[in-house]
Amino acid sequence: MKVTLAKHGGQAAALNLGRPPRMVDADTLSPAAAGELARLVAAAKAAPVAQEQKPNRGGDVMSYTITVEDGDRPTVLKQSDTGMSAAFDALRSWLERHSADK
Amino acid sequence: MARGPPTIPSIAFDGLGATREFYKTIFDRNSIDGRGLRLDGYVHRGRDYNNAFWDGREMVFGDGDGRIFTDFTKSLDVIGHELTHGVTEFTAGLEYHNQSGALNESMSDVFGSLVKQWSLNQAAAEADWLIGAEVFTPGVEADALRSMKAPGKAYDNDTFGKDPQPDHMSKFVHLPDTDEGDNGGVHINSGIPNKAFYLTATDIGGFAWEAPGHIWYEALKASSAETDFQQFADTTFAKAGALYGSGSAEQQAVQKAWREVGIRISGMMLTAGGAGRGRAALAAGREADSLAALAKQIETLSAQVSTLVKDVGALKKKG
Repeated sequence: MKVTLAKHGGQAAALNLGRPPRMVDADTLSPAAAGELARLVAAAKAAPVAQEQKPNRGGDVMSYTITVEDGDRPTVLKQSDTGMSAAFDALRSWLERHSADK
Repeated sequence: MARGPPTIPSIAFDGLGATREFYKTIFDRNSIDGRGLRLDGYVHRGRDYNNAFWDGREMVFGDGDGRIFTDFTKSLDVIGHELTHGVTEFTAGLEYHNQSGALNESMSDVFGSLVKQWSLNQAAAEADWLIGAEVFTPGVEADALRSMKAPGKAYDNDTFGKDPQPDHMSKFVHLPDTDEGDNGGVHINSGIPNKAFYLTATDIGGFAWEAPGHIWYEALKASSAETDFQQFADTTFAKAGALYGSGSAEQQAVQKAWREVGIRISGMMLTAGGAGRGRAALAAGREADSLAALAKQIETLSAQVSTLVKDVGALKKKG
């Protein structure tokens, strides 16, 4: 399973524009870490998407695209700072810590 | 009671307070909505959260991932930047995409920088004109998130690449109006109006929150949701003329600054009297007509009141 994290907008928008998505390949992880990633992905997929508090009219709100390649069809999860499930945020945070530039 | 070392919440609290005090002292604006709106800030958002944002009601700060970014409350200009999104929301309402969105971002950088300069009592010539210089961890080779003085030169390293901000309309970056395209590059093309303000401020000299800040603030209030760079430039020119006189050094500085970033003030704004013609003057003319009509109504009502008073007086005498 490969999981990528792309970030958009926010105070660091210009910096992120020049960077490729961050990627984690589960095949390179320890069994414990791979199991944790799989659990976080499953939770993020299953969690209902929180309703956006208001349209993004400004203010450096970020959005995130997490792409999960596991099998034939990739799963794309996309949420933003103002409408993010706790499970998605947990996966995002984990990917920030464990991923490298693709 | 002795005060301990500053904590993230206390730093954020002080930053919100400084921004509120700035708007009150300099522009007589009571909080970001002009009506005393309570300012709420939330710190320690999530984990490894490399951002700060205004969600339309409150500010949210991340602590950073500790590798590239540290906590975003360390930067007073970032705090001022985020709160100014609120000011923009309650005034012009600049839509957050394309040129209006880049102006929205620029307003936040302008007034965020002014909050910092005002707190340090720095003249325009002394200021660093950097946004977010304090948010990076020590090992990162970057001056700041953005430079108003030199858009495109805030950083150039292997991690981030080169700062993509343009400093001139000829380098305007065309990006799609999508999340992936930063809504048409609102954080990218803000470099152009940022540079215009920096040039205006350093040309006029003194403290940037005075004449330059007032010109920009009045122009912000006179703008609307879809105002673009050209319209905003024209409005700053008109406001400079209204505040400091047609042909004044301040107005000339504004015109020169925009020209240097590739935007020429519209021809009809430049006719004799500068602020006497053009969109701003037409609006002023319409306002004058409205005032004259209102004065006429008041005159008519006063006459009616005088007649009523006489009639009541007459009735009392009969009674």
